[in-house]
Amino acid sequence: MSPSFGRGAMTNSWSDLQNAEVFLIAGSNCAENHPIAMKWINRAKEKGAKMIVVDPRFTRTASKADLFAQIRPGTDIAYLGAIINYIIENQLYDRNYVLNYTNALLKVAKDYKFEDGVFSGYDAKSRKYAVTSWGYQLGSDNKPLKADSLEDPDSVFSKLKTHYSRYTFETAEKITGIPAVKIKQIADTFCEGKPGTILYALGMTQHTTGTQGIRAYAVIQLLLGNIGKAGGGINALRGEPNVQGSTDMANLFNNLPGYLPHPINTDQSIRDYQVRNGSVQEKPLVALLKAWFGEHARKDNDFAFSYLPKINPSVNASMVKLFEMMDKGQFKLAFNFGSNSLVSIPNRQLVRSALTKLDMLVVSDLFEVETAQFWREPGVKPADINTEVIMFPAAFVYEKDGTLTNSSRWIQWKNAALKPLGEAKPDLEILDSLFKRIRKLYDGSTDAKDAPILNARWDYGEEASALKVLQELNGYDETNGKLTQSLADYLKASVGTVSTGCWIYAGVTGNGNLAARRKNSDSTGLGLYKDWSFAWPGNIRILYNRASCDEKGQPVDDKRKLIWWDAANNVWSGNDGPDVVDKTKGPDTPEGKQSFRMNPEGAGRLFAANYMSGLPVVPSADGLPAIGVRPAGLCVDGPMPEFYEPTESPTDNLLHPKVSKSPVALILSSSPEIQKMGKANDFPHVLTTYGVVEHFCAGGITRNIPWLNELMPEPFAELSKNLAQKIGIKEGDMVEVSSARGKVTVRALVTDRLQTYKVNGKETETIGMPWSWGFASLSPGPSTNELTIAALDPGAGTPEYKVCLVNVRRA
Amino acid sequence: MDVSRRGFLKLSGLSIAALASGLGFDPTIAEAKGFVLKLEGSKKIPSICHFCSGGCGMLLYVKEGKLIHLEGDPDHPTNEGALCPKAASLLSVAYSPNRVTKPRRRAPGSDHWEEISWEDALNRVAQKTKEVREATWKANDEIINAKTGQRDLLSVNRAEGIAFLGSAEVDNEESYLISKFCRIIGTPYNEHQARI
Repeated sequence: MSPSFGRGAMTNSWSDLQNAEVFLIAGSNCAENHPIAMKWINRAKEKGAKMIVVDPRFTRTASKADLFAQIRPGTDIAYLGAIINYIIENQLYDRNYVLNYTNALLKVAKDYKFEDGVFSGYDAKSRKYAVTSWGYQLGSDNKPLKADSLEDPDSVFSKLKTHYSRYTFETAEKITGIPAVKIKQIADTFCEGKPGTILYALGMTQHTTGTQGIRAYAVIQLLLGNIGKAGGGINALRGEPNVQGSTDMANLFNNLPGYLPHPINTDQSIRDYQVRNGSVQEKPLVALLKAWFGEHARKDNDFAFSYLPKINPSVNASMVKLFEMMDKGQFKLAFNFGSNSLVSIPNRQLVRSALTKLDMLVVSDLFEVETAQFWREPGVKPADINTEVIMFPAAFVYEKDGTLTNSSRWIQWKNAALKPLGEAKPDLEILDSLFKRIRKLYDGSTDAKDAPILNARWDYGEEASALKVLQELNGYDETNGKLTQSLADYLKASVGTVSTGCWIYAGVTGNGNLAARRKNSDSTGLGLYKDWSFAWPGNIRILYNRASCDEKGQPVDDKRKLIWWDAANNVWSGNDGPDVVDKTKGPDTPEGKQSFRMNPEGAGRLFAANYMSGLPVVPSADGLPAIGVRPAGLCVDGPMPEFYEPTESPTDNLLHPKVSKSPVALILSSSPEIQKMGKANDFPHVLTTYGVVEHFCAGGITRNIPWLNELMPEPFAELSKNLAQKIGIKEGDMVEVSSARGKVTVRALVTDRLQTYKVNGKETETIGMPWSWGFASLSPGPSTNELTIAALDPGAGTPEYKVCLVNVRRA
Repeated sequence: MDVSRRGFLKLSGLSIAALASGLGFDPTIAEAKGFVLKLEGSKKIPSICHFCSGGCGMLLYVKEGKLIHLEGDPDHPTNEGALCPKAASLLSVAYSPNRVTKPRRRAPGSDHWEEISWEDALNRVAQKTKEVREATWKANDEIINAKTGQRDLLSVNRAEGIAFLGSAEVDNEESYLISKFCRIIGTPYNEHQARI
């Protein structure tokens, strides 16, 4: 999403789903995993909206669909590419939108190439791309050259057209198993309904090509003009109660809060940091340093930039890789607050082995999750494991004050309703106590490395107050100590005069605690609910809503008016907060034309080009490297989505058999005895994993709730009637499912929900397994992640849980 | 009386009794009265569901400090009073006998937990943090400068031996403090399940 539109977030909201005319739900079984989505989808359906579901199984969501297609897991880009091709060939795109709000006309660099499944710039040794050739042709002003028409062979649009000309419905059928006529039907249905929205979840992201699958959605939605509109957008149904917020807060090795890039080792000053990341990041970075180090962050010490740790850019420490580093012995101490990696990480042998390498593991959780007691998993000898484990009892959501940010980016406040059970404490209090103790241990130190600890601004009261932390996120005017009133005030302030812990949250407590607002009236009838809680950024409910207007700044859809240019008063105004650069810059100004202001081009990106805006034409007199304004978000695996087979696949890539799999996928290989690879001869079937409505993620909470265990007592393997007959089993029999990495024995669920399908003429089977079980809790069961593979998306680091090869037999 | 579903859910407090009065005996009313009696004297406190990212509103009925009932918040614009089976089951987390209620420690090589005090637990972790930080501190990365061919020492300030797995299941304020805590003590090795 971020390389396409500029922000990595669901574009619309739950209640906005009622405004759609057509849904493409692919990679999400929302009826089970996000039940509330169905409430709003059903409302749209009552008004006549059409619903398309593409999934490896006929899910509960599919049962409500007007059109369902069963797909081979991991092949989405093949059919989506065919839809892109169809839209372009038949001119079904929104011409005005494409010309005005996308980078379709910009000219791509002459040395950009795509040949035999590989983009230009590939280095086979490092398995990485150099992205320099993925840029634009620049004019003497360092701005991209613009073609006169979409037909110009150098234009982004022409590159798109050529790239997807290989994707016919027939080719897509051979790859995906969806009949060509059905793919055409999907394309026609989706193009006819305006606005149309796309819903996805982990079914789309848990692949080595996950990011590119979402990019394919972005290309389709930009071509059809569906982004920035009520009832349109790409709705990423995020998994956990605060996954939007925890991502905003950057519990990620490569970010700081508010999506700031993490400083790397060559960033020795804020100036260096800006050379890589653009001048636009200076203010939020300095504001963060002010929030963290207060008066110790001054202009004369480069705002304490030296206090921040700098990552080594050649080290990828994303979640699964972190366990690989742990297994190699890098970490002596690990904290684990609110997750259950021993159940949730793919190829769990890696986690089991890695945890034994620690001196100390610190767990904070409600229940004694598997990860907390890895040292007594059945089959493990506790005496052999020297890791000390400390477990903190954590308070539950309703036992503490604080906010959660939902998928609609609504930051919602709740007060503690109960005292924590027993001696449990909120994680906020645990972290606060811990930090204060560590600071005390360093009392009096004059060592430079201890200065960040001693000089940190860390004052949330005797008993840490969540509201005080939220106010730090909102930020202060550092000249007078008052809370920043709004995002606009933060944007107006000069560098160094304002602090914020997460700049996109500016305004959340500026004028009282807006996250606690409970006014649920909505005069627009569009489900915007502007006075309920607070949505980042700046209470905008539908992102990129400038694109819902025409060139004159007037809404293109009379029934779904979001914002408009009020010429009489010279201001952008409307039902929603205008997502514009400056509310006073009209549609005839360069700022007022920008519909995607977080992108350096100000436009939606069909082609994710390498580009930094605002680079000076004349080199600076002091000879220092130039600083531009805003860099583009990039996909490390290509500027346009390309179909690659999953890491373990039953077949070769039909488009380019020599480069069958993603040439840049991250496949954990440091421990070959842990990470074994399977071949289709030994493991002929495709395994896909999924969730069920009764259990949640790794089951840490739900497997300890008796009535959910009664509803869904144990894991199972779901297989087609054909396959069941072939291996001679019936419903309820025990089966052993095995991959190159492990095996589990579970009950068979024989259903019509999975059907045998043909891949390039060959009959193929998908087996489905829920994954929420582990050896502990009230309801233990085998973990499906014994089987899965630690192969990762090269950009996001998301594992390919949704596809690996397995065999199945009667147990 | 026209009672919409949303309106009906809002009436599920004492006003049901008013609706029921004077209508004679009816088992459904008796049931509603039982519900009213159960909730009498309780305080309704809104909260947010802790499962998917819907952010549905829940109402907690708390009487004398105890959670006695939980239901969907009819005023919440997203769920309008509805809850899925998981959310509806959250009542049982409050007093689950399986909750961990005291800090614990598992000693190296041991096959069991021992309960310890908060004081002890926090001190052990603080001490260990300092010890590992000291032992694994990396002040500089050494790189070969592409232009000069010389070795450059780059200041990096990293506590190489500490990792922190945060969470998409804790509040924003907690996630933020995890981020801040990590960078201040010098570890960028802060990740969580959003990645997966």
